Amino acid sequence: MAEKFSEEFLNAFVDNELDAEEKSRAYLAMQQDDALSRQVCELRSLQDLVRLAYRDVPPPPSRQRVRGLKLNAIAAGLALVVGVAIGWVLRTPPPTVPMLTATAPAATAEQMKVLIHISDGRREHLKGALDEIENLARFYRSAGQNARIEVVTNGDGINLLRADTSPYAARIAQLQRDYDNLVFEACQNTLDSLRNERAITARLLPGVTVIDSGVAQIMRRQTQGWAYIQV
Amino acid sequence: MTSGRRRFLATLLLAAATACAAADVQKVVYHVGMDELPAQKFALRNIQNHIDAVGSKNIDLRMVVAGDGVTLLQRARNDENLKAAIDSLKLLGVKVLVCQTTLAARKLDFKKDLYDVAAADLVPNGVAEIARLQMRGYAYVKP
Repeated sequence: MAEKFSEEFLNAFVDNELDAEEKSRAYLAMQQDDALSRQVCELRSLQDLVRLAYRDVPPPPSRQRVRGLKLNAIAAGLALVVGVAIGWVLRTPPPTVPMLTATAPAATAEQMKVLIHISDGRREHLKGALDEIENLARFYRSAGQNARIEVVTNGDGINLLRADTSPYAARIAQLQRDYDNLVFEACQNTLDSLRNERAITARLLPGVTVIDSGVAQIMRRQTQGWAYIQV
Repeated sequence: MTSGRRRFLATLLLAAATACAAADVQKVVYHVGMDELPAQKFALRNIQNHIDAVGSKNIDLRMVVAGDGVTLLQRARNDENLKAAIDSLKLLGVKVLVCQTTLAARKLDFKKDLYDVAAADLVPNGVAEIARLQMRGYAYVKP
């Protein structure tokens, strides 16, 4: 049975104000409850409408009151547009509202959070992966984009970060120096199986973080709104 | 946004409900980053099957070609089967996006060296484009 949530909770969810644990609960419940997921979708669309309305309005001279008044005007205007749109929708079969396709917020304002997953440990593959990571970090820096990049390695991908096997230790050290928004992580489960199955006690390169589980980290980060890319 | 404002705007919920009808469209980004021809063919078939399964009207599918994956578009210049497969996907609405960082690193000219790529198909960085699309609600598939 899906959990029930208050309106406040759902609003906070849509506004991305919940912590990771609360968000996971919300996602879980939405999976089990179609009505809930429809409700969240409606709240999201409403938020998009409001954002769209704000986007085309120049900033008001004085803060609180004028904003409220403007919002009234915007809402009235929107209500009119919506009314017309609904009328239109009712008389033509395909219910597409073109206005709603243009609601993407400006990308530079938000922080980009990107998890890069490496599970292939072949030398030439690791080189390509490092190229992609470096290009991405450089791209964000040159674009002035606030970003965090987390590189998760598991399985053979951990070869990249093992002091005894990494073909690119110096390059990783350089990347760590150049980009303080870039972290490298190794999966504890993989380290355990190296020890238990192959009697290898792997030492890691300096500055590498150990996480409990690569796949768990990937799931955790995705529910926290991170993008996920496998290289 | 305060809850007061939101309550005031609740009159617009009807419009939001209309918008949710369009949310049934699947948004998905496929990542083509591998060099091996069989894997590239497999990816194209994957995408074709995906569209066949849900119907081209119900899907917004972007294919981001980056890194080693760019060899797919190089090979397609001289491979009729690859051409046909790519043409077919494009006719079904697939947008093929190509990583400019990769082209610069490999000194490739999109007009001369790649099959059917226009300036509008170029993105500054393929991985960043995939991340950006995910932030906009696209699901990620790496075939």
